[in-house]
Amino acid sequence: MEPIITLRHLSKNYGEKQVLKDINLDIYPGQIIGYIGPNGAGKSTTVKILAGIIQDYTGDVTIGGMDLRKNVMEVKKMTGYIPELAELYDLLTAREYLSFIGKLYHLSDSVIEERSRRMLDSFGLLGNIDQRMDSFSKGMRQKVLLTSGLLHNPSIVILDEPLSGLDANTVIMVKELLQVLKQEGKTIFYSSHMMDVVEKVSDRIVLIDKGTIVANGTIDELRQNSNDSLEQIFSKLTAGEGYSHRADDFASALNDTQPGK
Amino acid sequence: MNKIFLKLVMLPSGLWRSMGADTEQLAAILDIRLKLDNRKPIPFGRQRTQKKERNNSVWLNMFIAALTGLVYIFTLATIKDRIFGLTLSFSFFLFMLTFMLITDFSNVLFDTRDKYIIVPRPVSDITIILSRLLHVFIYLFRIILPMSLPMWITLGVMDGWKSALLFPLPLILLACIAIFLVNCTYLLLLKLAKPERFKDIINYFQIAFSIVLFASGYLMRGMLNTSGNIEDLVNLDISKHSWVRFTPPYWLASFWSLLGFPVNLAGTQWSFILAIALPLLCLWLLVKYLSPQFARAIGGIDTVAAAEYAPAAQTKATGGKFYQKLANLMNKDEVAKAGFVITWLQTSRSRSFKMKVYPFFAYMPIYFVFLLTSEKHMSFKDAWDKATSPDNPSYLLLLYLSSFMLIRVLNYLTISDQYKSAWVYYATPVVIPGRVMSGAFKAMWVKFFLPLFILFAVFIVSVWGWPAIADVILALINVTLFAACMMRVSFRDLPFSMQEQMNQGGNRFLKSFIAMAIPSALGFGHYLAINILWLKLLFMVLSAILLWLVWDSYANTTWDAVRKTELE
Repeated sequence: MEPIITLRHLSKNYGEKQVLKDINLDIYPGQIIGYIGPNGAGKSTTVKILAGIIQDYTGDVTIGGMDLRKNVMEVKKMTGYIPELAELYDLLTAREYLSFIGKLYHLSDSVIEERSRRMLDSFGLLGNIDQRMDSFSKGMRQKVLLTSGLLHNPSIVILDEPLSGLDANTVIMVKELLQVLKQEGKTIFYSSHMMDVVEKVSDRIVLIDKGTIVANGTIDELRQNSNDSLEQIFSKLTAGEGYSHRADDFASALNDTQPGK
Repeated sequence: MNKIFLKLVMLPSGLWRSMGADTEQLAAILDIRLKLDNRKPIPFGRQRTQKKERNNSVWLNMFIAALTGLVYIFTLATIKDRIFGLTLSFSFFLFMLTFMLITDFSNVLFDTRDKYIIVPRPVSDITIILSRLLHVFIYLFRIILPMSLPMWITLGVMDGWKSALLFPLPLILLACIAIFLVNCTYLLLLKLAKPERFKDIINYFQIAFSIVLFASGYLMRGMLNTSGNIEDLVNLDISKHSWVRFTPPYWLASFWSLLGFPVNLAGTQWSFILAIALPLLCLWLLVKYLSPQFARAIGGIDTVAAAEYAPAAQTKATGGKFYQKLANLMNKDEVAKAGFVITWLQTSRSRSFKMKVYPFFAYMPIYFVFLLTSEKHMSFKDAWDKATSPDNPSYLLLLYLSSFMLIRVLNYLTISDQYKSAWVYYATPVVIPGRVMSGAFKAMWVKFFLPLFILFAVFIVSVWGWPAIADVILALINVTLFAACMMRVSFRDLPFSMQEQMNQGGNRFLKSFIAMAIPSALGFGHYLAINILWLKLLFMVLSAILLWLVWDSYANTTWDAVRKTELE
């Protein structure tokens, strides 16, 4: 099978700082890829490159058989991006925002209307469709973002920390949604901090640290016959040794000094 | 400066402690509040800079207050009748102070971050209340002191130390009245409007206020010039305006009869008593009735959260709303429609956009009247009649003034506090960003410029008759060309995608200047051709062709061009 996403020698610098160093990765269609790594490892940068937002990288990115650099628009039509922070025009109502996004994908008004009503309904947000989003909670905004990213029925879904701010029931729903999307043959690139969720939903896990891939495989492959959880594997691989020391140091800062003047 | 204020209010810390406040916390809270004040943008005029942290806004505010204070010495120094002069000065002072407090206090009183930052900590209620009160007190002090300083000095110079010594007493009484008025206004506003709309209303209030200031500044100067006679003002006789003695500023001014300035009107002793009694009554009403009501009312401002928001009536059909119909009518491309709609909606709802743009609507006609009637040695009416006489093409001025309006709104087309939300254009398959931009431009043009222009056109045709219609059309094309040139050359950015910055590159400035010079030349050509119809028709065709060319280039702006503008 041909990979749907290929990264070859992908690097990215911000000034002096190199955030991605020679990333090589193949992703096959119909898979859920868990993309994990500590803060500042380069996760969001990778995601933004795949979404076509960052275009001045070095190396090659091929998506759906097309060179990303040469076919940004075609690739964007295939992909749906759901960003990490709920940056949206919150003076608009949910309906107005989705209609706006739908038009950017050249969807017809009736399709936008039908899809956004049904998708928001399944999130339990239909009653809020005509409310301005500045009165929305973080979770409600995240649901609108999820809807806006999937509105045009993309074949590749790129999620950057999609569960932040969602309540437990919605997290369960999104996890099931990911499975349904996968069964429909969609490829899901899932970047997150939440180890337990990544461990459960991903077909393959890619661990990135300081701009390079340090592990790539199924959860069983990563365990290497041990019984470690993903969290423990993560901690071992990302120089997390000594974290218990650091916690001790943190706590002793309180004990060693007396309150008051 | 803040350190001095803080030391001053913390001097009676024994008293605060006996009231049950924790003085260490009190000082810490006040210190933070004063620091925040210092970093706030100043209320008048200039916009906030994001790049450079503002550290001196307290000084700037005080300086502005002192400048406004200079206004009050004008009447004081020119009018011979001291009591009348003082009455007028106090009236202006009361007016300014009340308005400044109404617009400014909303920031102090409605800072709801307290609820998340201070309330969860072990801080007693009395400490929080006291910190608010002291903050308000410092705030008042910072406005009143510099604002009254010029008057104080003038009195001292004119009358000697006795007069200067007396001054603080009526000043304090005046402040009491002002606070009372502010409180009444707030309560009234809160009664009239839902709490969640309150911040909007305060903004409209600010807009109205700036218009009133602007209009009175321009028109008063015009009228003073045209009446031309300063003697009339100097010899204003209070006995001819006896209604004045029913106003509080007059009562306060009558204090000066203590120093031997005669009060011409009867009932001096009464005004004396009233001057003391009224502010005390205000204070009593404030403490006893208004403040508790007020506290309850503002408590509601942020607790009315999303849950209680009544959902807006669900509209089913899309394409049914007015702006959607317009969007469909004016744009063929779906992406352009999206640009049109988002611009229409954002500009209707963004508070900061309204604040920056709406006052401008009122400025336009005021400018016009001022420019036409500012001729010296002529009364306002004569100047107006002359300007609107059939053979005077002064309406060209009005037509081309409308370009300021268009430029103003377009200047804020690319700027937003929510500029980060513009990521959507980059993540969606927008092939030609120029389409979004062209839709956005059309929305601005249709929504803000066209109605004003039509209004002007109706006025012009009704005064100058139908022949002026050719000028109206030519001006419409020229002004649109003017704006399109400006956008094409210096603002090739996506709508609401940029952070507001004070210093734009010099390169940009130069480019906009050139972009504006060409159409200005067209406007001048229009003026020269005012009486030659065929030449006007020729200009119309030429301008239309030019507009089409510029527009085509703007509406086809590529991603590369957008990136280039971003880098500038």
